[in-house]
Amino acid sequence: MSGSVIDLSMIDLVLVYGLVLISASLARFNRIGQERDLLWSSLRMIVQLLMVGYLLKMIFTIASPLPVLLILLIMGGFAVHAVGARVKEKMPGFYRIVGMAMFTGCGGATFFLCILVIGLTPWYDPRYLIPLTGMIIGNSMTGASLAAERLTAEMTERHQEIETSLCLGATSRQASAEAVRSAFRAALIPSINAMATMGIVFLPGMMTGQILSGTEPLLAVRYQIAIMCVITASVAVTSFFILLLGCRSFFTSSHQLRIKQ
Amino acid sequence: MKGFAGETLSIEEVCQTRLDVHGRAVAILRGVNLKMPAACLMAVVGPSGGGKSTLLRLINRLEDPSSGRILLSGINIATLDPLQLRRRVGVMLQVPFMYEGTVLDNLQKVFFFRSETAPVATDSGLLQVLELCQLPVDLLARQARSLSLGQQQRVSLARTLLAGPGLLVLDEPTSALDRPTADQLGRTLQDICRQRQLSILMMTHDLRLAQRVADYAAFLDQGRILETGEAASLFNNPRSESLKNFLASPADALEGSHVR
Repeated sequence: MSGSVIDLSMIDLVLVYGLVLISASLARFNRIGQERDLLWSSLRMIVQLLMVGYLLKMIFTIASPLPVLLILLIMGGFAVHAVGARVKEKMPGFYRIVGMAMFTGCGGATFFLCILVIGLTPWYDPRYLIPLTGMIIGNSMTGASLAAERLTAEMTERHQEIETSLCLGATSRQASAEAVRSAFRAALIPSINAMATMGIVFLPGMMTGQILSGTEPLLAVRYQIAIMCVITASVAVTSFFILLLGCRSFFTSSHQLRIKQ
Repeated sequence: MKGFAGETLSIEEVCQTRLDVHGRAVAILRGVNLKMPAACLMAVVGPSGGGKSTLLRLINRLEDPSSGRILLSGINIATLDPLQLRRRVGVMLQVPFMYEGTVLDNLQKVFFFRSETAPVATDSGLLQVLELCQLPVDLLARQARSLSLGQQQRVSLARTLLAGPGLLVLDEPTSALDRPTADQLGRTLQDICRQRQLSILMMTHDLRLAQRVADYAAFLDQGRILETGEAASLFNNPRSESLKNFLASPADALEGSHVR
């Protein structure tokens, strides 16, 4: 498979980095600005990717489950942290809820795809497990942020509706059903849009990468379909758990809406 | 419409403390005592910020008090399941919230929450409640959110009554209404109280409403009940200085009749 890939040498990289330098100098001479950010972020990208490259190479050669699992755990931890950074108004017990939801959603989806469907041998094969989990976690992270952010916003905006329902004898679950529904919708919209436009508006990255590295296009398409289905399920399960647990955290066990201080 | 007979209410030494934005404890209610007989109309009057809304929220356990107890027909409500309690105590919040959909959808909501079969538009119990609340039948098919505030207030009242409470508690029912509409609503409440043997407690700073319709009244100021008794004697012979001031202040007396 990899036999058909044309080698990219360091000199080639210097050549393409020249393009960034040209862009930056264009920005500088025309006083458009941004050249500092352009250079800084491009340098960051190079350093980070090289580090990841060496790390992956190391893990591939070690070929043992422990470092693979460690990497996955670190990825998950960073994802939960990133969700925390993105969501400003946090519900009570935010990190516990997001952590649990991401672990269940992403973990379940990864297990299903890699072990049950693809059937990796060995089960921890880092060449598959790391990039596939990365994609699942990355997408679920977006869904989780949207779900958590929308839920708090909906619970605040619909405060009057929720208390009216409680006064009319609704359980806290019934009273918050509308809020949960709109938060779930918000969380799923990116996945729904991505699926609906896939292949027409843009060619997905994983598929493009596989084709570049010599995979037969129809097989690459099948992989893309599989990952999209699993990503959607992971986003849905993650958001669902965030909404289920998060929604409860707004109420007491006596069906009372907790008063914001 | 099946319902509970008029319930009695007894509030004993109730305090409620909340944290303000800086995390400091603020006493909203400081030992409230109030007794309300069955099947009468009682008004709790007092200036805004005196604790009326908080007291109302304690009666159907939207909140629990930090100390003290509330008895509904002799039973401590802290021992009741909140969902059961809220069937017996119908609370109308200050701003009527209309669910999306028609007036009928709004009235049926109560039954959906209980997983009971909702009455149809021709149900006799439903029609009785509509008549009692002076809602014309042809309003049932209208979008609830397109109604005037006065009508929404009545839909909200009908919705609460359909749940069959024995005690009805209202928060500033006339604050958004003009004077004629407020007077009409007051008469409606009187009719409901008499015809249904329903106990009605209203929190209001609308003195005109309280004087016209209430049998009993209590004056709540700065988290304490300062005076209580028959409405006529309370308003005609106020004892405390603060009630005298409150009765004399034209701003508060008129506020209820302004459209906010």
